Amino acid sequence: MRKAHNIYKSEKLIKVSLEYDEYSKIIKSITIAGDFFLYPEESLDALEVNLIGTKLEKYTIEQKVKKCLSSSEAFGFDSESMTDAILGCLNPEKNT
Amino acid sequence: MSFKFSKIRILETGYNSGPWNMALDEVLMYCANYDIPILRLYGWQPPAVSIGYFQSMYEEVDVKKCKQMGIDVVRRITGGGAVLHESELTYSFITKIYPKNIIESYNLICDPVVMCINKLGFNAKFAPLNDIIIDNKKVSGNAQTRNKNILLQHGTILLDVNVEKMFSVLKIPSEKIKDKMINDVKARVMGLNRTFEQVAYNLKESFSEKFGAEIIADNLTMEEKENTKKLTCEKYTSDPWNWKKKL
Repeated sequence: MRKAHNIYKSEKLIKVSLEYDEYSKIIKSITIAGDFFLYPEESLDALEVNLIGTKLEKYTIEQKVKKCLSSSEAFGFDSESMTDAILGCLNPEKNT
Repeated sequence: MSFKFSKIRILETGYNSGPWNMALDEVLMYCANYDIPILRLYGWQPPAVSIGYFQSMYEEVDVKKCKQMGIDVVRRITGGGAVLHESELTYSFITKIYPKNIIESYNLICDPVVMCINKLGFNAKFAPLNDIIIDNKKVSGNAQTRNKNILLQHGTILLDVNVEKMFSVLKIPSEKIKDKMINDVKARVMGLNRTFEQVAYNLKESFSEKFGAEIIADNLTMEEKENTKKLTCEKYTSDPWNWKKKL
C-alpha cells in the first residue's frame, strides 16, 4: 500500500491525499480538500466514498467524478481538474 | 421573480468568539421567516481564523501559534479559504427567497455590500464568484451555503489588513516564498480604513434600499441564545467538526 499526496492549482487549490495499491493502482482511501465551493457540500463526501475501489486511470476517475458531481455546482474546479488533481498523486516526485 | 421584502430583521450581535459566531449563523438559518430575512452584523473577539468547509485545519492553520496569540480557530459551514478575522465587519444574510442560480444569488446579496462601500466614498464592484474589489484589490470576501431552501451568505468587509499577522498563523508551503506571498497579498487586498460603526450604518441602509425593506432592529430570543450556546459546545468547539479533514 502506498500513500500519496498532491496539491493541484485549478482556479482554486485542490489538495488530495490517498492510499492505493501499488500494483493494481486501486484506491483504498482518499481525502479531498481545498478552498473551492461546491453545492451541495455533501457531494464531496459522496465523491470520496465512490472513489474507493476505483483504479487510478484517467477515464475511470473522470467518469466517477462526472457522475458524482452531475447534480452539483462547483466553483474553483471542474471535472477535468479534479481528475488531474487525483491522478497527480501518482507523480512520484510529489508522493510522500 | 421579485426580490423585495417588506422588512428585514436586523441583529447587531457585537463581538464574540469564532465558535459562537459560527454557531449563531447556523442557528439563524433555521429562524428566518419566509418573507422577513435576517441581516446580522458582528465582529470577532478574540480574533479568529476560520477555514472553509472543505479545508483541513491540519493543512491550513498553525493552531499552536494561534493558541499562543489568543486567536480562536473554527471551521465554517461555507466553502472558500482560510481567513483571519480581526479588523473587519462581518455580516450574515439569511433568506428563504433567493435566486436558485448561484452566481445570481451572490450578485444579489453582494450588491448592497457594494452600495455600502460606495456610500463611504469608494468605487467598489462585485467580482464573481464571491469577492468585492476596489481598483482590483479585494475588500470583501463572501461565502454561502444552502440547506432546506434557506440561503445563508456571510461575508467580511475589511476595515484594516495585517498581512504579516495573517501569514504568521496560516501554514504556507515554503518559508522561502513567504515574503513574496506577503507582498502579493498586500498588493491584492485592502481595508476601508473606516470604523465598524460607519460601515454598519451604511450597510443597514444599503440592504434597506436594495430590497425596499423597512429595517427592524431586534435582539436574539432566549431560544436563539440557548441554541447557539448548545451548538457552540457540541459542534463548533469540537474536534470532529473543526478537524474533520486530515490529509
